Amino acid sequence: MNSDLRSELHKKAEQAWPDLELLIGWQAGYDDLHTTPVFIRDSAEISKLIWNPWCTQNLAVYVAKHFAASSGKDDKKIGVCVKGCDSRSLIALLQENLVARERFYIIGMPCKGIVDLRKLHALSGAARILSVQVNAEQVALKSAAGVLHFPLDEVLMRKCRRCRYPNPLIHDVLVGDPLTPRTDAHEAYNDVAAIERLSLQERLAFWQGELDRCLRCYACRNACPLCVCQDRCIAETRDPKWLTQYMHLPEKFMFHFIHALHLAGRCTECGECERVCPMEIPVALIKEALNKITLELLDFEAGLDPQRVPPLLTFDAGETGI
Amino acid sequence: MDTAIKFIAFDQLNSALDRISEQLDVWVPVASKDQKRVIQFAPYRPGMTLVLDHQTTLGPKQVVLPQVEALFRFDYRKSADEPSRQKVQLEDPHPPAPTLIFGARPCDVKGFLVLDQVFSAGPFVDGIYAARREQTLFATMVCGQQDSACFCSSVGSGPTDRTGSDLWITPIAAGYVVEALSDRAHPVMAWLQEAATELHVAAAGKVQEEAARQQVGNLAVDQCQQHFLQRFADTNYWQEVAGQCLSCGICTFVCPTCYCFSITDEMKDKHGERIRSWDSCMFFTYTLEASGHNPRPSRLERYRNRVGHKFSYFPEKYQGLIACCGCGRCIRNCPVSIDIRKAVQNLQGQNHACS
Ligand code: SF4
Ligand code: SF4
Ligand code: SF4
Ligand code: SF4
Repeated sequence: MNSDLRSELHKKAEQAWPDLELLIGWQAGYDDLHTTPVFIRDSAEISKLIWNPWCTQNLAVYVAKHFAASSGKDDKKIGVCVKGCDSRSLIALLQENLVARERFYIIGMPCKGIVDLRKLHALSGAARILSVQVNAEQVALKSAAGVLHFPLDEVLMRKCRRCRYPNPLIHDVLVGDPLTPRTDAHEAYNDVAAIERLSLQERLAFWQGELDRCLRCYACRNACPLCVCQDRCIAETRDPKWLTQYMHLPEKFMFHFIHALHLAGRCTECGECERVCPMEIPVALIKEALNKITLELLDFEAGLDPQRVPPLLTFDAGETGI
Repeated sequence: MDTAIKFIAFDQLNSALDRISEQLDVWVPVASKDQKRVIQFAPYRPGMTLVLDHQTTLGPKQVVLPQVEALFRFDYRKSADEPSRQKVQLEDPHPPAPTLIFGARPCDVKGFLVLDQVFSAGPFVDGIYAARREQTLFATMVCGQQDSACFCSSVGSGPTDRTGSDLWITPIAAGYVVEALSDRAHPVMAWLQEAATELHVAAAGKVQEEAARQQVGNLAVDQCQQHFLQRFADTNYWQEVAGQCLSCGICTFVCPTCYCFSITDEMKDKHGERIRSWDSCMFFTYTLEASGHNPRPSRLERYRNRVGHKFSYFPEKYQGLIACCGCGRCIRNCPVSIDIRKAVQNLQGQNHACS
């Protein structure tokens, strides 16, 4: 199944190549469980492209940060491969005029879900996973202790188990057939709802416990396709100086609240902030909570319709929702 | 029977640590979440469950070089004889207490051998680091859990490298066999009650033999110093190894040998502290100059610096010592799976045609 889709991807990339100066996709990483983004500048390298349940990175992160200002040679475009969730990041960037649609050639990948390596490690209990095989709905995980089998669903990323948009919402070409979404808007915020059911004290304790581990490495910020002011972030500016260099909770809370508030009505729930965190802090939940509010109050979800203006980018004196 | 060798049965580990921690500050690897995933060194408290069969997410670097530490405290006070003037009073930080890091790995300890060159080997000695380092003992465990990111054998260490350790722990079927490697270890050995039997020692020998046979990683580092310099200006090369870098601080913060720091005065009203905190050469602000100029403006120059520092500038300055312990943490934790082995391995070879 995957090898068919991979050759389809290669074929479609070849077809598009004459119009492209660059193609951003995934290639094999340092072992079978890791992929790494690849920037293809020569058609001979198209064969490096892969597509499988390990293609975890949201490549839209490079679009505004590395290439927004670049102007194409001879009108050539930048190709980029996107999963359903990644496509929403692109749309959000378009909604905010941070990138121009005509600069990009979008290869859409209908997506069955991405495997969460941490879940695999937790399930295996071993220090080293020797190999993992995914076929259809089953995962076979081999470690020194033997082979374990799990339903694919059980080892998918949290964002995938609540995915409503597996099919890219914007694309110039699709690789594979569209799929049926796993959940609807109703179920999508179950994780946030579970936190909201905690008492205020319990909630505070939960976040204190989680954020205490934060290293302020800012990977959650840098991996976010929509955190576009990164080199000017309040977390690091010295003049004015908003945050001390201490590692106390108030500094960490402050960074995360600003980070989340700057994503209110903008976050497209690609889950990258949470995936990249080396300390496994579920930081995406903070943004999901804001998205839940945005949906309830303003009936808006970021990154769905390129024509719609995000609520916080506009001003309506007659607003009744708030 | 060698009476110098001790044994700790699995179910005696906590009581042994209870006894040791009455005498010393003890740091142990524990999981921060329920799964054995985010593992960090933390001050030992009775009843803690140690995780000794996985590499820690963060090494014990912070025990000797904390992420944040006060270099001194200061206070502005009105001068008694001349009320219009303020006097600054300085106060030194507390002297460090004797500390034992229990359950480190050879790569973790190798990391300190790198830091020592900079902070305590001279000619410029960092008093705070040196004092803490002097007070710190390492009880290191032979390593049998390398994964696909580890390459300690390639950088002059390995799963049975005892260099820099004070006590040597070998896990066997029934518990841990503990040997003293330095004189400093003797008090700790005396607090361990059970002597190892000949059977224990023989079992430990087998485990060590097995671990010593492992060649972890096959990176060739000879001459990487020169190869790096030849590659320096090859932008296409750096684009290929690190074009996808996100410029986050993960690789440097999890690294046992990264030591760059920032110094800031954090004050409130009339008193404050001058603190030293971890910095990261992967951050844009790291080399940002007051003029606004940045000599390392993009992720490529920054990643190149990280490789160059560890595999070229450091060995050049410190008798060929490579500033990487091969722990693989930067590879394992990088969100876009950038592999420093690949960056070093391919230094040698044809320069890319410039386009
Ligand atoms: S959230 Fe949806 S589109 Fe995104 S990776 Fe998961 S299943 Fe695929
Ligand atoms: S990625 Fe994790 S550790 Fe790093 S700043 Fe974000 S929350 Fe903190
Ligand atoms: S190499 Fe990886 S971990 Fe290091 S800054 Fe770049 S993206 Fe972050
Ligand atoms: S550079 Fe990477 S492999 Fe080397 S010591 Fe640092 S984290 Fe470990």
